[in-house]
Amino acid sequence: MRKLISFSILTGSVIVCLYPFLWMFLSSFKTNREIYQPTLLFPENFEIDSYQSLFSEQYLSFYSFFSNSLFISGLQALFATLITSAAAFVFAKYSFRGKSFLFGVAILVILIPKQAMAVPLFDWMLWLGLQGTSWSLIFPGIASGLGIVFFTQVFRKIPNELLELAKVEGFSIPRTFFLILPLVAPSLITYGLLHFILSWQEHLLPLLLLDDENTTLPIALSKLRDSSHRIPESVGMAAATISLFPVVILFAVCFRKMKTALVHLSLS
Amino acid sequence: MFWLVPLFLGIDLSLQSPTFVAPHREVFEASDKNPSPFSLSWNFPENPEVEQEHNTKYVGFQNFSNVLEDAKFYKALRNTLIYVLGSILLVIPLSFILSLCLFQLSGLFRGLLVFCLMIPGLALPGVLSTLFYLFFHGRTGALNQYLVVPLGFDPVNWMMDPSFIMPSLIMQAVWRWTGMVTLFFLCGLQAIPTWQWEVAKIEGAGKSLLLRKILIPNLWHLALFAMVFLVVDGFASFSGAYNLLGGSGGILDSGLLLVTYVYQVAFPGGSGRFDFPGAAAMSLLVVPVTAMLLFIILQGRRRWVHR
Repeated sequence: MRKLISFSILTGSVIVCLYPFLWMFLSSFKTNREIYQPTLLFPENFEIDSYQSLFSEQYLSFYSFFSNSLFISGLQALFATLITSAAAFVFAKYSFRGKSFLFGVAILVILIPKQAMAVPLFDWMLWLGLQGTSWSLIFPGIASGLGIVFFTQVFRKIPNELLELAKVEGFSIPRTFFLILPLVAPSLITYGLLHFILSWQEHLLPLLLLDDENTTLPIALSKLRDSSHRIPESVGMAAATISLFPVVILFAVCFRKMKTALVHLSLS
Repeated sequence: MFWLVPLFLGIDLSLQSPTFVAPHREVFEASDKNPSPFSLSWNFPENPEVEQEHNTKYVGFQNFSNVLEDAKFYKALRNTLIYVLGSILLVIPLSFILSLCLFQLSGLFRGLLVFCLMIPGLALPGVLSTLFYLFFHGRTGALNQYLVVPLGFDPVNWMMDPSFIMPSLIMQAVWRWTGMVTLFFLCGLQAIPTWQWEVAKIEGAGKSLLLRKILIPNLWHLALFAMVFLVVDGFASFSGAYNLLGGSGGILDSGLLLVTYVYQVAFPGGSGRFDFPGAAAMSLLVVPVTAMLLFIILQGRRRWVHR
């Protein structure tokens, strides 16, 4: 009986979560008139015009936006994972002067959303002369307070004996760090993935910092739906469907590792 | 570390008088057409527009008092607070229930369902708003057709009725984050050591005791993390409202969020005031508010855990 109740709750919520996306996918084959009837699920006949016009770059240079988005989010995730895990390793395992102050700064960075800092950031990137390039997004994206706190928790669980062993062997701190890194692989993947998703979804900073020719997908998508309604809605739906692919694929591949890392982290 | 620079720059900027910074962007758009990624232009004194910065006039706390007198700022702040609190109050219990339901299922099925629940969190917020706009809202939209009308109410005009703009934004946040938080809770449930369940069984503990002595103490730090995440994300949220309302605050500004307003003040497309210092002052005023909210959350933890 209890199983039945929980099962029906779950089925209901899964439908709420998935049905709109199914509708979105099927809508990419619909005509405008069909899209404006939200209760209609299946199109009358499957037209692939929208995908054709998307891939032939009729309305916007989709490939360059897509690859740009991938490039920015991928590099951000990579660098952020490396840098924050290195910083957190030192925070967790070594003591040095000003450690608690620096850790406090990391917490402060979490408290202040970087979107709220958008205006000074814009000013700073102008000053550096990076404004308009992809680097103006990658550069600020690699520092993350959340990553430092997350990895500090992770590295605290690594036994100190390993470090002492490394010390006896005469390894330097960076060498020790790279030796220990494979042990926390699930956490690395988890954090990298989360960072990738967050930067993939970022809207405000690319809108401000990037030139119009090399913006990212979110902005291109919102441009597809401008007020003139010149572009058929199905093109936007097709682009939205494609924009979902990289994240969902990455997530599906890493899902198991992510769960391992999270369970391990909450075992305390 | 890195974010201290914009913070200090922001403090510096917020003390300047607006008129001197205003022409910045135009000059730069002309001069900065072809930058190569690695040539950081450290040679800034040659740039004419930075030269201008030497003329900046500091006006003390003028900008801050301007912001504090701005009725629209309070409106944005109130909306954001409602947004954050509403999404926390809905997401946390909802995902708690969902994770308890999931916990009763077997392994593979459980993973599959969580994955399905998380898909809205993976999609771009802009896509979510577009879907909301096309699919849920409107007289014939899914929300009205499947939920409001069958329950016997009049169809709601979600985006045009000022009193329903915030609920629809909150609904989007709930739709987006519930799956993610459910995953957190599920992992937390899996990490509860079996002996605790066995002791509870032997002692014949009832449901409320189970909830108070096992579930809440074990899941509390995850709930805390989720709350912090939601607060920070709520204060930073921009994309959903931007796509839904096109950078404006919606009817009567009832959907105006803080970041949207900062954007409006600083950049064209909003009101085009180019008021960088004002916007910077406004961003800085966000900090005490988030800090206070997080402080309240952390205090709440002390109450609950160390009773």
